[in-house]
Amino acid sequence: MSNKAVKNLFIWGSLFFFAIFVALTFDTMGKLDKRAPEITADVNAGKMVWHKYDCIGCHTILGNGSYFAPDMTKTAEKKPKEYLKKFLMDPKAVNPKASMPKLGISPEEADKLLAFLEWTSKVDTNNWPPKPILATAISVGGRELTEGQKLYQSLRCSACHMINGIGGRGAPELTNVGSKRDRAWLIGYLKNPSAYVPNSVMPAFGHLKEKELNDLVDYLLTLKQEVKK
Amino acid sequence: MMIKHESQKIAQNFYTFAILLFLVQVVVGVIAAVQFIWPDFFILNFNTIRTLHINALVVWLLVGFMGATYYVVSEESDTELWSLPLAKFQFWATVATVITVVLGYIIMGLYPQANILVFGTRLLNEGREYIEAPRWADILIVISFLLFLLNCFMTVLKTKKWTGIQGVLLGGLVFLALMYLPGMIYTKSMVKDQFWWWWVVHLWVEGSWGLIASALLAFMLMKLVGARREVVEKWMYVEVGLVMFTGILGTGHHYYWIGTPEYWLWVGGIFSSLEPIPLLIMLWDAFRTTREYREVTNKVGLFYAVAHVILYFAGAGLWGVIHTLPQVNKWTHGTQITTAHGHLAFYGAYVLLVMAMIYVTLPAIRGVKEFNSSRAYQSFWWLTISMVFIVLTITGGGMVQTYMERLMGLDYVAVKATYNLWFWIFRAIFGVSFLIGVGIFVVDYFKLGKETTAPA
Repeated sequence: MSNKAVKNLFIWGSLFFFAIFVALTFDTMGKLDKRAPEITADVNAGKMVWHKYDCIGCHTILGNGSYFAPDMTKTAEKKPKEYLKKFLMDPKAVNPKASMPKLGISPEEADKLLAFLEWTSKVDTNNWPPKPILATAISVGGRELTEGQKLYQSLRCSACHMINGIGGRGAPELTNVGSKRDRAWLIGYLKNPSAYVPNSVMPAFGHLKEKELNDLVDYLLTLKQEVKK
Repeated sequence: MMIKHESQKIAQNFYTFAILLFLVQVVVGVIAAVQFIWPDFFILNFNTIRTLHINALVVWLLVGFMGATYYVVSEESDTELWSLPLAKFQFWATVATVITVVLGYIIMGLYPQANILVFGTRLLNEGREYIEAPRWADILIVISFLLFLLNCFMTVLKTKKWTGIQGVLLGGLVFLALMYLPGMIYTKSMVKDQFWWWWVVHLWVEGSWGLIASALLAFMLMKLVGARREVVEKWMYVEVGLVMFTGILGTGHHYYWIGTPEYWLWVGGIFSSLEPIPLLIMLWDAFRTTREYREVTNKVGLFYAVAHVILYFAGAGLWGVIHTLPQVNKWTHGTQITTAHGHLAFYGAYVLLVMAMIYVTLPAIRGVKEFNSSRAYQSFWWLTISMVFIVLTITGGGMVQTYMERLMGLDYVAVKATYNLWFWIFRAIFGVSFLIGVGIFVVDYFKLGKETTAPA
């Protein structure tokens, strides 16, 4: 092949592939709005707050960003709003071990950010991030779960609490909660957390039936393993 | 080798600024590495340090490309630059803009509330990865870049010597300028935001920058071993053709999980899997050419050029393809695996490219036939061995993260702070040794050709 022929192949070939790319882009743009909830004024205002504080300088969202802090795509789905709002405004007040600095996010800005994160959590991401295999395996079979264990899972307590190394680190570890607290304290706390712990960021679970509360506490009271530091 | 045209010396201004930014990039990189272990380590938070780290990288490579392009265009057109004063003005305008933007990032880092809205855009930091520069700076950067392109095209038009190398180089630069524009679209949807953002990021590093790299490689092979233009240019066209045929639709590998339709899994999976092919051809091209022609005048220049193609293939090709299939990427997307790929790819593809261009052209600019190259080899080994270990530690961290967080469902922070701690410690140590390599390179750059001692 002559140099001229290879050059023409390069130029026309590149334009050909670019044209396909542009056509796919058009098609995609027409489909995106149907794959996500409506963007309200609050969602957009929240996106502006996201940009203002350069959140992507530490976090990823939709998996893109800085890998220094957790991905935010599904956060609003995983953690209670009350917790997130307080955390955004003053992270170390909620969790002394938190790496996130206090950026001066106002209560209004926090609300908007949460509206934005709620939006991203509902985007159809082709099932990303995938459900962890181990977590899925536990809930489908193997051993029979007690009512309390089932509640612990369905209420997604492990998003913030940890038992034996599994779960989040945003709230106190529960591995040994059974030796530290009694039934009355736990039930009272679940119904109204801030009455027991001032400024608690834990959502109240007063809406649970008495039996459910008892089942959950039954399970918590079995957790008596010493935590090795 | 001596320069033929006085105005080629302008390349040196750009190289100097590029190298100083390289030093800044790596100093803040080491700070960022320490912050992985100890988040409150420095007065500026990680996000500001990281913004400085990646912006310094992009800007110093672009500034290096500009310097190299002025040199190549004048050489290939066999004439002085169209306007040397314009090139100087464009240089200082770039320096002033970059310094102002950096000061803005630092102010924003110290006082986040200073990042106010002005005419609907952020004053100091746009808060979008890689393109954090605020809108006013975007406009200044575009103006500076257009002046640069104008100067280059007018130079070519003086003698109308449209060589293949000039065509691909300038074509790549025009493509680069055009692909900066989608980054300035504000959309209310985060999905659309990231969709257009990848047009800039992907079509730069896996599109236009690939054209620039191929053209500069062809130029270096001609200068270094006296390879024949017809042969070098033919292979260059093959390489850039394949870069574009695979890379444009390869953008799809960023559209798997961001809210875009499912067909991108197929488009991205197939085309991005083919992306290593042009890099492999580039590698073969460099080896074949250097074996065929033996009249090497500048050994260290050739050493860097060949190292560039080897690590380009390893970093962008191999480290990219391992996690590009959707079946794999579903688990690794957004983990440290991407960081490992990013580090080795940028180092091999572009850092070594600009360093190679400096070692190929600087002796001529400084008017020296022979120079002491021992420091150049020293810095290469410090840099490369350190980078290989940085990449291995981050890859290890990424594998642990993928397994423990993504597969087993452990908490992100637990994995990062506990299970990956030693990887971060090793990474910081190799970061310091990388910085030593940069230090040796900076010293070598300023001393090259200026020492009176006989070459070793």
